Amino acid sequence: MFFRVHPLCAVLLSAPLWSQQAQMSFPEVQGVLKKHCLACHQGKAPTGGFDVTKLSSEQSLNAQPRLWARLGNRIRNGDMPPKSAPAPAPETRDRLLTWLDHTLQTVACADGISPGNAPIRRLNRDEYSATIRDLLNIHVNAAHALPADGAGGEGFDNAAETLFLSPVHAEKYLEAAKQALDYAFTDTKARAVFLNAEPGKTVTPEEAAQKVLAKFLPRAFRRPIAPSESDRYMVLFRDAQKRGESYERSIRYALQAVLLSPHFLFRYEAANPEAAPRLLNGHSLASRLSYFLWGSMPDETLFNLATEDKLHDPTVLREQIARMLKDQRSREFAERFVEQWLNTRELGRDIKPDAKLFPAYYDAEIQGAIRYEPILFFQDILAENRSITELIDSKFTFLTNKLEKFYGLPNTKLRQQPVRVELPADSHRGGLLGMSAVLAVSSYPQRTSPVLRGKWILDALLGTPPPPPPPDVPELAEDHSNSAVPKTMRERLSMHRDKPACAGCHSRIDPLGFALENYDVLGQWRTTEGGKPVDSKGQLPDGAEFEGVEGLKNVLLEQKKVFARNLTSKLLGYALGRGLTLEEYCTVDAIVADLDKNNYSAHTLISGIVLSVPFRWQAGTAQNQPVISDNLSRREEPK
Amino acid sequence: MTRRLTRRTLLRGTGAALALPWLEAMTPGAQAAVTKSSKLPVRMAFLYMPNGVLPGAWTPEASGSDYELTPSLAPLAEVRNEVSILTNLWNQSAKGGDGHYVKTSGFLTCSTPNKTLGVDININGVSMDQLAAQKLGGLTPLPSLELCTAPVTTGVDKNVGYTRVYGSHIAWGGPTNPLAREINPRLVFERLFRASGPNQNSAKEDVLLLDRVLEDARQLRQELGTADRIRIDEYLSVVRSLEDRIEKAGRPERRTWKPRAPINAAAKPEGIPKDHGEHCRLMLDMIALGFQTDTTRIATFLFSNAVSNQNFAFVEGVNSGHHSVSHHQKDPDKMRQYQIINRWHVEQYVYLLRKLRDMKEGESNVLANSMILFGSGLRDGDRHDPHNLPLLLGGHGGGRLIMGSHYVFSEDTPLANLYVSMLDAFGMPVERFADSTGPLTPIIHT
Repeated sequence: MFFRVHPLCAVLLSAPLWSQQAQMSFPEVQGVLKKHCLACHQGKAPTGGFDVTKLSSEQSLNAQPRLWARLGNRIRNGDMPPKSAPAPAPETRDRLLTWLDHTLQTVACADGISPGNAPIRRLNRDEYSATIRDLLNIHVNAAHALPADGAGGEGFDNAAETLFLSPVHAEKYLEAAKQALDYAFTDTKARAVFLNAEPGKTVTPEEAAQKVLAKFLPRAFRRPIAPSESDRYMVLFRDAQKRGESYERSIRYALQAVLLSPHFLFRYEAANPEAAPRLLNGHSLASRLSYFLWGSMPDETLFNLATEDKLHDPTVLREQIARMLKDQRSREFAERFVEQWLNTRELGRDIKPDAKLFPAYYDAEIQGAIRYEPILFFQDILAENRSITELIDSKFTFLTNKLEKFYGLPNTKLRQQPVRVELPADSHRGGLLGMSAVLAVSSYPQRTSPVLRGKWILDALLGTPPPPPPPDVPELAEDHSNSAVPKTMRERLSMHRDKPACAGCHSRIDPLGFALENYDVLGQWRTTEGGKPVDSKGQLPDGAEFEGVEGLKNVLLEQKKVFARNLTSKLLGYALGRGLTLEEYCTVDAIVADLDKNNYSAHTLISGIVLSVPFRWQAGTAQNQPVISDNLSRREEPK
Repeated sequence: MTRRLTRRTLLRGTGAALALPWLEAMTPGAQAAVTKSSKLPVRMAFLYMPNGVLPGAWTPEASGSDYELTPSLAPLAEVRNEVSILTNLWNQSAKGGDGHYVKTSGFLTCSTPNKTLGVDININGVSMDQLAAQKLGGLTPLPSLELCTAPVTTGVDKNVGYTRVYGSHIAWGGPTNPLAREINPRLVFERLFRASGPNQNSAKEDVLLLDRVLEDARQLRQELGTADRIRIDEYLSVVRSLEDRIEKAGRPERRTWKPRAPINAAAKPEGIPKDHGEHCRLMLDMIALGFQTDTTRIATFLFSNAVSNQNFAFVEGVNSGHHSVSHHQKDPDKMRQYQIINRWHVEQYVYLLRKLRDMKEGESNVLANSMILFGSGLRDGDRHDPHNLPLLLGGHGGGRLIMGSHYVFSEDTPLANLYVSMLDAFGMPVERFADSTGPLTPIIHT
C-alpha cells in the first residue's frame, strides 16, 4: 500500500510526552465521530463529499486509509468541526488523533514499504558551491551571488519541493559559471584536475578538447556519458575555434555550457519503466550518498564503485559511510544539517542577542566559536561513531580559547582554532543543551524565556512541537493594573497551570525551559537573576520532579527513543530531500529499534538510513506499488 | 518580433512552451499600446512590512484631504500631497489559515495558499506585480526586481503547518513559483548595471551557449515523468527569457528600451551593511535606480520576512524584537515600542517617495510616474486581523491616481479592487483580479 499523507500528520505519531491518557478504543472513536461529524457528513450529499459512515467499521482502516488520514488532518488543523459546531474536548481530540496516528501507521507498516518518489531537483545553493569546488578543484564560493533557498519537507533547504527557479537564477548561473572558470583557468592546481590535455605536436586541438570533455562530462553529470553527448559540446568548441579563439578560450566556452546544462544543475534519476520497484542504478546511489554525507558530487572512489556495480553491497556501503564521515567534506553535511535541525542558522540573522545588553556576543571570534560548536560536535560524533545520546549529554565539546573563557572553564591553553576538549565534572557543559548557540537561539534578544526554550526542546530535540496557542485565549498580562499580579517570570508562568486552556501544553513546555534558567541569553552560567537565586526546578505532568540542566538531561535520556526517532526522521528527510511518507516512518521505527540494540551508535543510524528501502530503491510505475520488506535482517541481501 | 517568435516556435515549440506567460509579452499589441499611449513609463513598487500595525496609532480620524496625521503616519507630512491612506480594504482569501504565512504570501495574489510544509506548495494564483511583469516586463531589461533584507527564513513551521517559504515571498510568477529575492544591494546594483548595458560582444556567444543549454533541457525533458517536467519547464522558461533579453540587448536596433539615465558604476554599494536601516535604504535606493534608469518598472521589497523578530534597538525608544512587541498583549511599553517600529517603517517609505520625487523626469519626476504601495498583510499584529489592512499608496501613477486623501471605503472592500486600478494605471487593464468586484473608483481618473 502506498499513500501519502499530510506530512504534519506523520510527524506527530507519538502521544504527547508524559501524558497519562489511556488509548482510545474503536467504539469510543465511533462515539466521537457520531457526536461531532455525523450530522453533516452522511447521506446522499455529505458536506464536502466526505461521508463519515464509510469509516464505521474497523475494516475501513485497511480499506480507506486515505479517508482516515484526511479526517485526521482536518481535525488536527482545526478545520473541523467548524467554529459553528461544538468541538470535542481538547483531551478527547488529542486521544483521537494519537489513536489514529498509531493505527494508520500499524496498518501501513504491516505490509512492508514501497519506495517513495525522487523528484528532480536543482542543486541548492550550498550544493552548487561545493560541487563547483570539487569539480574544478577551486576554493572560492561560486554560489555567493545565488539567492538563498527556502525549506520544505522535514525542514531542510535541499527539499525538491521548495527548490524553485526564478529568472534571477538563470542570470546568476551564467555569471557564476564564467567566474568559476575564469578563476580555475588561472589556478595551477585547478588546471591539473580538469585540463588533462593540451594541443601539441602529436595532439590536435580537436583531440585535446575531446580528451578534456571525456574526463569532465562524466564528473560534471555524475554518470557515464554517451559519445553523442560529448559531440554536442564539441560543436561549441569548434564554433569558438572558427571565431578565431585560442584553444583555452574555446574549451572554456564548451565547459561553460556544461556548467549551465540541466544535467549538471539538476539531480535526477533515470525513471524506472518497470511496474515494480527496483534498486537504484549505481551512479544514482553514489550521488544520493555523496549529496547526503558531503553535500557535493561523488568522488572518484564512489564513481568507480558505481561503475563496477559494487555500491549496493552492504559491506561496501558501510565501509564507504565510515570513510565519508571521516572525510573533511562531512563538515558541509554537519553544518547544513545541524544548523537547520536546531534552527541555529537563524542566530545572527533573525535572532540576535541585544548588542547593548550582551556586548560579549559581538566579537567575531566568539560568534564563530559559538556557531561552530554544535557543528563540530555533531561531526565528531558521526566520524568517531559515538552514541547519538551524547548529543543530550557528553563529557566533551569543541572550544576555542575565547569560548572556554566565555564558559568560565579553567584555562587549558587553547588557541583560536576550535578543538575537542574533555570537560571537567562540574562544567555545566556537555551535550547540545550546554551550548551557547542553542541557548541563544531559544531566547529573546533581551531575556531568556522558559517557554521558548521548552518549546525548542519539544520541537527540535523530541519532534513533538506543541500546537500554537488557541485563538481567543485570555492573555496572561491582561490584568496588568491588578496589583496582585505576580512579578517574577515563574510566578507569571505558573498562571498557565491555573488556566485550563493553557495548562494542557504549558505543563509540558514550561518545566523543561525552567531547568535551563541557569543559562543567560548567551548561555553563560548564572546562579542569580535580578538579584534572586535562580530557581531551576521543574515538575512534569506525570509528577516527576527534576532540577537544573543535569536533571533535564536525565529526563531527556529517559526519552532517548523519542529523541532518536526524531533525529532519524530528520536525517532520513534530509537524505531523501523531501518530506517523509507515513510508510517511511516504518523505516524510521525499524532504525530506532536497531539503534536501541546497538547502543545508539551513530554508524548504526547512518547506515540504517543508507541501507533502507527509501534510500536505495526506486519506485515503479504501478499505481499500487508492490512492497518490499524493510526488515533489517533481510536488508542484507538485496535482490 | 513576429519573425523571432516564428523562429523560436519552430525551433523550440512545444505545447508547454506556448502556454508560458512570457510569450504573451511578445504579442505586438500589448507593447504598441503602451509605447504609444504614454511617453513616460509608469512604474510600480510594493513595500511589505511584516507583523502589522498598532491600529489606534495608524488610521486618521477624518477622511478626505483634511485629515490629521496619526503618530505612526506623522512622517507622511513631507509627502502629504503625493500619498493617500487607504482604509477598510481587506484580503478575504487571507482570513483563514495562520497569523502570518497566509497573509504574507497572498498579499499580492489575493488567493489562499495550500496549507503545507512544502510538498504541495501552491499559492493558487499569480501575484499582480508578476502578472504585469509577464505582460509588460519585456519593455525593460529586467522584468522586475524582488528584494528583501533577510534570506528566506529557515525551516518549516510545524506549529502551524506551513513552510516558511510562504512567509518570505509576495511575488509569485505562477501558483507554484515564488520568486527568489535578493538581499545584497551590491549584487542588485551589479545586476542592474549588467542588464542596462550588456556587453554586445559576448551577447552572441552567450545566446549560442544558452541555445545549447536549451537543447539539453529539451532532451532531458523527454526522459522525465510528468511531475518532473514541470521543473525542467521552469528551467526552460528562465533560460529562454534570459536568452531573449541578452539577444534583444545585443541588437540595439531592435531594442524598444532606451535608457533614461545611465547608471554610474562608481555608485556601487559595498555589500550588506550591519545597520538594518541602512540596509533597507540601500535596497530602496536600488528600486529608485532601477526606476530612474528604466531598467525595470516593477519591484517588490519585504522589509523583512513574516514573523521577523528583527531587533529594533537601533531606533530610539525601542529595545526589543519586532514580532515580540507586535504581540504586546496590551502591555503599554510593548505597544509604545510597536508603534515606534511602525512609524520607522513609514519613515523609510517616505525616504523612497522623496528620493523618487527628487528624480526629475522632463517636466515631472519619477514619483509622479510611479505607484508605490506600502502595507502589511495583517492589521493588528496582536490579533492577526486581516480586515482593514494598513495601506499607503504614493505617486500619481502617470497622472492617473488622485493623491492627498484619506480614503475610507466601505467595510471589507476587496484589496483586489486596488490592484485592478493599479494595473489599469500601469497600462494593462484587466476585467478582474482574484476576488475583485470592480475598480477602486475614487482613487483613479477613469
